[in-house]
Amino acid sequence: MTRAEFEKNRRRFGDDIEAWPAPFRRQALEFLAPQANADPDDVLDGLVREAALVEEDGALARKVMARIDRSAARPSLVPSFLVAPAGIAACAAAVLVAATVAGYQVARLEDQPQDSELLALASGERLPDDGSSAIIPDPGEEDSL
Amino acid sequence: MADEASRGDDELLARIAAGSQAALSALMARHGRGLRTFAARYLGHAADAEDVVQEVLVTVWKQAARFDPEKGRASTWLYRITVNRCIDQRRRRALRNFFGLDDLVEEPAAQEADAEAATAAKQELAIVRDGLSRLPARQRMALLLRAVGELDIGAIAEVMGASAGSVEQLLVRGRRALRDHLADAAAGRERKSS
Repeated sequence: MTRAEFEKNRRRFGDDIEAWPAPFRRQALEFLAPQANADPDDVLDGLVREAALVEEDGALARKVMARIDRSAARPSLVPSFLVAPAGIAACAAAVLVAATVAGYQVARLEDQPQDSELLALASGERLPDDGSSAIIPDPGEEDSL
Repeated sequence: MADEASRGDDELLARIAAGSQAALSALMARHGRGLRTFAARYLGHAADAEDVVQEVLVTVWKQAARFDPEKGRASTWLYRITVNRCIDQRRRRALRNFFGLDDLVEEPAAQEADAEAATAAKQELAIVRDGLSRLPARQRMALLLRAVGELDIGAIAEVMGASAGSVEQLLVRGRRALRDHLADAAAGRERKSS
């Protein structure tokens, strides 16, 4: 019996192995005999440990040492916080804020002619072709002052 | 080297902080495989795991002086760095996948289960690996820290930045899901053979 078969039978017949049908009970008890006193969670953890194992890579130490030597031989000119994800995010945020402010400034400059055009439209004046202000002071108004 | 191997982790870290490469080699010999196993099974990519473990050990080399034995065990500190690097690596991978820069997907463990049918024991291990790869990331992390890192509940909680209660919950759910997966695989095999 394998662990998988044991778990399948446990789901089928319940946690109490003594209540299992005889042939399954015998197999289960044989399966559990070597680990009779072990905690079932520990047994499963052992299986996970065994299943998780990866091939030993003897080159790990060599590669780490090479990386350490490389980083020691080539000191970076860029501050380390700038290459970290948080540093990159901070730089991106700063660029975004600068672009937004610059956008507002440009838009404000372009607002001026638009305002005068709207005012001309409201007062029923024709817009001059040379781009000068459309609002011409009323001569009568000047005299009255 | 034999001398370094007999030292405790705390002492090795103190010597690494003082610039001893022999101490780093001894620490790698002791924990390198565990860290690599954890990273490989958590990330599902051997190459990413290799990168992560190299990064972790370079970090240990540079920051060994920051380890304080009063605050916890060396293995907890090592796994904490590894967990943080693994999370960063998963985010990078997800971002690359999102922008279509990467066509790598998680290892198809189910195929591995089919390919590795030489013996019942091997097949069972393949089924466990398959089950592990299907667990939610935090359940998988908790189970691997327990089984591979052999950390206790308190240490796992510290590594994961969670409470002991939630780690216990993660372990209970992860083990239950793994048992269910084993049972399903056995039932599937039985159906196939009949």
